Amino acid sequence: MDLDTVKERAGPREFGPGDDMPEEYRKAATRMIQFHANSEIMGAYLEKPFIRQSPSLDRKLAFSAKTQDEIGHGQLLYRAAESLGVKTREQMLDELAAGEGKFLNCFHYPMTEWQETPMIAFFVDGAAMRRQATLKRTSWEPYAHAMDKICFEEGFHIKHGEDIMRELATGSKRGQELLQEAFEEWWPRILQFFGPTDDDSTHHDFSADVGLKRMGNDELRQAFLNAYIPKAEKYGLEIPEKPRIVEEDGTYEVIEEDLDWEEFFTVAKNEYPSGREQINGRKEAQEAVAWVRKSLDDWEHAGTAGASTQRAAD
Amino acid sequence: MAASTERNERDGRLGGPDELSEREQAAVETLCYRLADDELVLGERYTEWQVRAPTLESDLALSNIAQDEFGHARLWYDLLEDFGYTEADLIFERDPGAFRHATLVELPFEKGDWADAIVRSYLYDAAEHLRLEALENSSYPRLADRVRKVLSEERYHREHARNWLERLTAGAEGRERVQSAADRLFPHALALFEPVGESDADVDALGLRTESLDSMREQWLDTVLPFLSSLGIDAAPELCEGTDVESLLPESVGRDGSHTDAWPELHAEMTRTYRDLGRTEARRIMSDPDDAE
Amino acid sequence: MIWEVFRQEQAGEYHTHCGNVHAPDREMALTFAQIQHGRRKPTHSLWVVPQPEVSEVDDEAATFGGTTDKSYRWVMPYNRVDPEFAEEIAESEAEQRDADEQRSEG
Repeated sequence: MDLDTVKERAGPREFGPGDDMPEEYRKAATRMIQFHANSEIMGAYLEKPFIRQSPSLDRKLAFSAKTQDEIGHGQLLYRAAESLGVKTREQMLDELAAGEGKFLNCFHYPMTEWQETPMIAFFVDGAAMRRQATLKRTSWEPYAHAMDKICFEEGFHIKHGEDIMRELATGSKRGQELLQEAFEEWWPRILQFFGPTDDDSTHHDFSADVGLKRMGNDELRQAFLNAYIPKAEKYGLEIPEKPRIVEEDGTYEVIEEDLDWEEFFTVAKNEYPSGREQINGRKEAQEAVAWVRKSLDDWEHAGTAGASTQRAAD
Repeated sequence: MAASTERNERDGRLGGPDELSEREQAAVETLCYRLADDELVLGERYTEWQVRAPTLESDLALSNIAQDEFGHARLWYDLLEDFGYTEADLIFERDPGAFRHATLVELPFEKGDWADAIVRSYLYDAAEHLRLEALENSSYPRLADRVRKVLSEERYHREHARNWLERLTAGAEGRERVQSAADRLFPHALALFEPVGESDADVDALGLRTESLDSMREQWLDTVLPFLSSLGIDAAPELCEGTDVESLLPESVGRDGSHTDAWPELHAEMTRTYRDLGRTEARRIMSDPDDAE
Repeated sequence: MIWEVFRQEQAGEYHTHCGNVHAPDREMALTFAQIQHGRRKPTHSLWVVPQPEVSEVDDEAATFGGTTDKSYRWVMPYNRVDPEFAEEIAESEAEQRDADEQRSEG
């Protein structure tokens, strides 16, 4: 299929593995889905310690389930990316380990305290959910299918995150103060989630032209701010003075020059120190179990896999 | 005496939590601590594999098993709450030395030692199966009522462990790692069958459990040794040479409150947020097990 | 040889199992399947899979979703917060409530 035809036909769920897609499309889609999949893995990496640190058994279960879901989302997304025929999952996971795979800015920062968890589990996941909902209509069908399941599950994550925030916000004075501190630390990063504003609001990039993206970052940022700033205020969180936020008729605008874009681009290049540490931490974990993957590969190639499947079906 | 008359009037079944004699309650508590603490701590160790398992699919599966174990712990702790304890008393504010889990479940994993996770799960779940079957006809109805739901989830755990063991032991490296994990873990698995104290005798005497610890250990050995041996794993060569089981036990068995150093460290990590935030209670999300469904 | 047939009604939807055909090979299976399973119902695409390649686990052998309380992985118990502030969260909540209802009916 030539690029003009792709742009012409670029409707929701229009293309799948059966279509002969041009290389530009396959590469752009792979880049986008790989980024998304990597983010699920690195988000899970960040949240995992809180399974252990949960202050009740029910919370522990919820945190374990949430982390499990994120890994499950990674599984779905890497499969959707693999279906473009550009890279295998193994390649993509190796790239992530080597520090070449890119992922969301927020997952480059360390998270060590319980009061920080709603910053990811409510605000960052909420921002991601806003974007993901629009991707149910992406033109790469396997990506849209992954999005169906991810969006189905994600409601639990956001509510769980909000519930933790609510518990802190309505609990002890100390809990409230710690929550406010965590909010002040994370708020600028959360505001950078959708990247810097596009110069031209009608600007269309390649991904939009071929239907991979359904909504621009500016529009998504706006929808996010409109829904989540009132939420933060509802829980008594004070929005920091900087970066300045201008409100007009219930819509919000961030004064972008107040944000640290140099840091943002350092993060984006995988060069921020804590981000590097997190990448390397995951890499070590991945390497430590390489022997198991090799065992599975050997088993598969020894031809015993089919026989065993058969036995399972008997 | 009054209590045992009471028990006979109910065809050997005990009454509800408020109707138990002191001796009966002590025996029920002993049994529930064994069950709940094992499941909690094993689940806690399993979660170390989340985001660190060999593949994404195996990550999801082991995470689920961890959640199953926590869910079971929740059911058994809830039976202890019948006697007025809270979750805070039972987990977050409890002295680590008061926990009664076997040392098998508290040992940390060496980095990348998936063989340990699988062997541990295999040894534990084979024992867990026997233990739950011995509770299906427990004289304490509150306990017997909950066993079936737990049993059906444990079936997946056993299949999961057996499937993995077969595949890991097919190659030389995997077999070596499995053998080494079995050597290290086997003594701690034997600790599963150690008594908590004198009240453990009452657990049998009062019919709370229909198989004794010794009898379950024999059945367990008859299950796990032949299976491991069929995979080329020699778990306890000493036993074939007629060595007494007791002499194989590790220094700390857990059941009597003696633990390895790994346990207080783990407990401190688990309770860190609770302490840091000055919490006095553990917040529930789900319905009480008696109200669920 | 028997081939299992999966039909997708429209682009973007899921391929769902709709039946099977006898055929000596993959090509013939596709030839037959389009008539037997695609001649009347709206069809965008068909897949054929050799039946012996399909393995099964059913609810006799497995406890899908568990037998003890797993409500912590659903939206429902988090009822101290309201999902209505964002339509995508409300939609996820509605989908989960539907799925849970179907589960309990099943």
